[in-house]
Amino acid sequence: MVNNNEVLLKVDHLCQYFSMGHKDMKAVDDVSFEIKKGEAFGLVGESGCGKTTTGRTIIKLNEITSGNVYFKGQRVCAGTRSYKDAIKQAKKDFSEKKITREELSEIVSKNKVLIREAKASGKDIDKNYAKSLLEELNAEFAQKFESAKDNPQQLKALKKEYKVRQRVAKNSKLITRIQMIFQDPIASLDPRMTVRDIIAEGLVIQGITDKEYINEKVYEILEMVGLVREHADRYPHEFSGGQRQRIGIARAVIMQPEMIIADEPISALDVSIQAQVINLLNDLRDRLGLTILFIAHDLSVVKYFSDRIGVMYFGKMVELADSDELFKNPLHPYTRSLLSAIPLPDPIYEKQRTRVTYNPLVEHDYSVDQPTFREISPGHFVQCNDAEEAKYRQMLK
Amino acid sequence: MRKETKLTVNNLKISFRTDAGKVQAVRNISFDLYEGETLAIVGESGSGKSVTSKAIMGISAGNSILEGGEILYNGQDLLRIPEAEMHKLRGDKVAMIFQDPLSSLNPIMRIGRQITEAMLLKNKANRKEGRATFNSTMALLSETVKEAIAQDPNAGFTAAEVDSYVKAFDSFGTGALKLENGYNAACTAAEELVSIVEDYLFLAEKKQKVDVVSTLGLVEHKLKDMAESKFFAGRYEQQINEHLAGLKDVKRIEKAKVTIGDSFKRVVHMTAVRKDPERETVELLEQIRQTAEKMIAQEEYDFFSVGYYLNKNPNEDLSAMPVEQVNAMANEFFKDNFLTAFTDMERIAVRHSSAKALENKKKAIGTLQEAIDFFKAGNFTEQNAKEVYKNATKSVMASIDNLTVVKDNVAHTFGGALEREVDNYFFYIKNNPKEELRFARQTAKREALLAKGKQVDWQVVPKSIIEPEEQIETIVRVISRVLDKFKADIENEQTIDVDKRCTELIEFLKSKASQMVDVLTKRIAKEKAIKLMEEVGIPEARVRYRQYPFEFSGGMRQRIVIAIALSANPDILICDEPTTALDVTIQAQILELINRLKEQHNLSIIFITHDLGVVANMADRIAVMYAGKIVEYGTAKEVFYNPKHPYTWALLASMPDLDTNEKLDAIPGTPPNMIYPPVGDAFAERNKYALEIDFEQDPPMFEVSPTHYAATWLLHPNAPKVEMPKIITERIKRMEERGDKRGE
Repeated sequence: MVNNNEVLLKVDHLCQYFSMGHKDMKAVDDVSFEIKKGEAFGLVGESGCGKTTTGRTIIKLNEITSGNVYFKGQRVCAGTRSYKDAIKQAKKDFSEKKITREELSEIVSKNKVLIREAKASGKDIDKNYAKSLLEELNAEFAQKFESAKDNPQQLKALKKEYKVRQRVAKNSKLITRIQMIFQDPIASLDPRMTVRDIIAEGLVIQGITDKEYINEKVYEILEMVGLVREHADRYPHEFSGGQRQRIGIARAVIMQPEMIIADEPISALDVSIQAQVINLLNDLRDRLGLTILFIAHDLSVVKYFSDRIGVMYFGKMVELADSDELFKNPLHPYTRSLLSAIPLPDPIYEKQRTRVTYNPLVEHDYSVDQPTFREISPGHFVQCNDAEEAKYRQMLK
Repeated sequence: MRKETKLTVNNLKISFRTDAGKVQAVRNISFDLYEGETLAIVGESGSGKSVTSKAIMGISAGNSILEGGEILYNGQDLLRIPEAEMHKLRGDKVAMIFQDPLSSLNPIMRIGRQITEAMLLKNKANRKEGRATFNSTMALLSETVKEAIAQDPNAGFTAAEVDSYVKAFDSFGTGALKLENGYNAACTAAEELVSIVEDYLFLAEKKQKVDVVSTLGLVEHKLKDMAESKFFAGRYEQQINEHLAGLKDVKRIEKAKVTIGDSFKRVVHMTAVRKDPERETVELLEQIRQTAEKMIAQEEYDFFSVGYYLNKNPNEDLSAMPVEQVNAMANEFFKDNFLTAFTDMERIAVRHSSAKALENKKKAIGTLQEAIDFFKAGNFTEQNAKEVYKNATKSVMASIDNLTVVKDNVAHTFGGALEREVDNYFFYIKNNPKEELRFARQTAKREALLAKGKQVDWQVVPKSIIEPEEQIETIVRVISRVLDKFKADIENEQTIDVDKRCTELIEFLKSKASQMVDVLTKRIAKEKAIKLMEEVGIPEARVRYRQYPFEFSGGMRQRIVIAIALSANPDILICDEPTTALDVTIQAQILELINRLKEQHNLSIIFITHDLGVVANMADRIAVMYAGKIVEYGTAKEVFYNPKHPYTWALLASMPDLDTNEKLDAIPGTPPNMIYPPVGDAFAERNKYALEIDFEQDPPMFEVSPTHYAATWLLHPNAPKVEMPKIITERIKRMEERGDKRGE
């Protein structure tokens, strides 16, 4: 489906820990993956495995602990824990006389630079993005000013437009090119705002004040997601579940994102409505060329919707492959157990289905050889150690 | 093979009163639930599936209006029996598992207490109820006999004799109860002993700190309790004494160990004698447990016979004899000396009572016929009507044979049903003109607004009117139902089996009496709860017993809820979306658990869900609901392989399976607002196969096969041929291919 190889989002050794007093809860632990432009990437796993946290960290709703997230080749967020740990480890090694003083100081200074860069990148990225937008704008308007030089009236209007566009550009952030759709449409919409306000909020925050422009934009988006103009002045409680989710989608789409993170967008909806929302997301994807990170626990829906799928288990990515490949050749025992649990609308099959149980203590022996995330066949990654890698390769043959 | 029907729902109709108008949640649905099968009810939210299940449980919301229909369980109409009766069924015979396990558990109560709470309360209530019922039945019996004797002096009994018999039953009954009580107490002590020992061994195995001395003290106490009931402990006396002696020893050592700081020397001395005191303790406890278990497992005595025997021969020692022998002997003695005479007396009572009831029935038929005529004639005032129905109720109540154990449901619920229908009649007479007026006014307003060219986004609430004639017909139907029943009874007059009824009555009395002394202590309840928790697959139940709900994961919580539902050993289990809040893997586990429990307990399950995949796994039969109606029902195979209703097609087509690649067929729009139920088929508006008639007339149920029905005009012989959507036909083909492959 996707032919280009342009990587839009790159998640690199992402760790997200939550402090639980005396120790850390590793919600996401060392997860890496890439999403290509125009692709739908599915993230599955049982509840509590960190798939939602991954989505929220990418869009900077959580303070990233360690690792980097690159969007369009630029680092949008970076954590410092790994560098700090490296310094700690070096100091410990030094005290145990494993490394020399010179080596220690080299490691410390190197990591300190990295920490500084990581901290700065969060701020710089927006500055740079605004700057590049401004430059584009200036280039565009320089031409326009040139052509309208003789017409003072037109020049005045152009100047006015330039000012507005300039303000918007200054307020823009790269991260707004990624938008999120939340699971529960009731909880994620403010009950005291009209639909117009909800959808237009992003534009208003960007600094657009032109009411007519906003209205037009809102109407356009409403029609795009299958609602009508009249709905703009109503409140969320006046809508059914499916319509509410459409509002949530409209709110995300109006920011002209390149990527959408859909966090279980259909699990709170009725059966007959789920298909409507899936079809809508598919339409939008085709029409706007969106890239979608689709987080869900319903495997048949993920299979239907996504080009590639990553399976997560307790904060780790255990398997990543093309969706057809994953369902045809599941390698990791957890994936196999997950696939064996999918209920299908086929009574005879269901009566015979045997569920594979997954017990990490029985399945893996990681006492000596720690597992890493490895590519077994082109595009098919599995979390395994040497012995398992050999076994998996054998299985694929 | 036709299975036995457990539950029948007939023409159930439920509405809800809301500010905006009357919402018709369930419109005329009927289904049967067979023994040991799973019936799945599928539909989207608002289709009335939960409302139906709540009506079965008798926990409908406060603003619900029951408009008609019946739910029959065990010959009782669950919609009409009084709350006290419903109370006995709810949770006990019909249990329910809710969607969200967290909200159906109390967050500040330990799991153990939540599981045992109902058991303990129920036990207490049962004891009380047993006593009351025993006393009242006994009084009724003696009264009836006396009445019969007064009428017929040649019956063979005198009033004094009757009194003496009843008194005797009472007195040796009390003796028997004392016996049973003692036995129960001993058994309880033994069971508790097992529990204490298991607790101790469990903790010792975990190397956790245990208060050994106090445990041993408890064990000693319970052993003494066991020995207290002389009658049963005789056989175990020697063993118990041995255990007690052993305990004394062990206790001394353990005590010494506790005070090790003070008298170190003594301990050293003792450990020199006994190599491994800890093991010794464990071994002794194991032995005690074995004795206790033996005691629990022994056969029960026939307490009434033995009680009577001991009453007459108070000095005999029966404890040495085997239980069967004692039972046989006592039984013989009881029969010869008392039971035969008592049964004779009882026979008189039963005969008299049923004759009287029959007589009253004959009288009641006249009254009922009069009532029917009266209502049919119409033109009556409220006061008149009240008098008539009170009279009818009175005569019907008088004709109930109180000495029957199985109650006549039709007659019992007659009064309430009639009163409600009569009240309804006057309500509608009063309300109909108002309703007409309101309807006319609203229509006029709407039309006026429309004429002005304004947009109107509200609709006129339809008239809720019942014609008086219709209501009278309903009233007559209620009366004639009893009338028919009575007529049939009078015809079958000779078929009453007096002997059978006598034995039934005696068994009833005995069971009620032993209900009084059947004590469930907290410790035994705990042991039962732990067994249940293990059964539903909770590891380390003994530890988890003391935890709070928040310490459990979602799947474990749902298991707890299932354990609570099963604690009363129900007949029917209603699962209201039990896995919607859970993950795929956990969902599969819970479904497997429910399936396993169904096999083990022979449960009949009503499974409510909107996930067709889950349904395929669980269901034997499926009912698809839309807008408060069942639109299709059949066996799982029929519904999945040969669906007939467009709504079922739409549901199947709107969910992707693993091989789906084409665009999904989403159902356009949303379910209709049931304040304004659409004319004709409710699904017509969203249905792309809708025919013209769908907008005018509601389709009836068409038969596809004897077990498969669907309500769609497409099945009418004159309907055009319509093919299923491609997405489904292809899927079914795939499924069949897969099935063939598996068959090879």
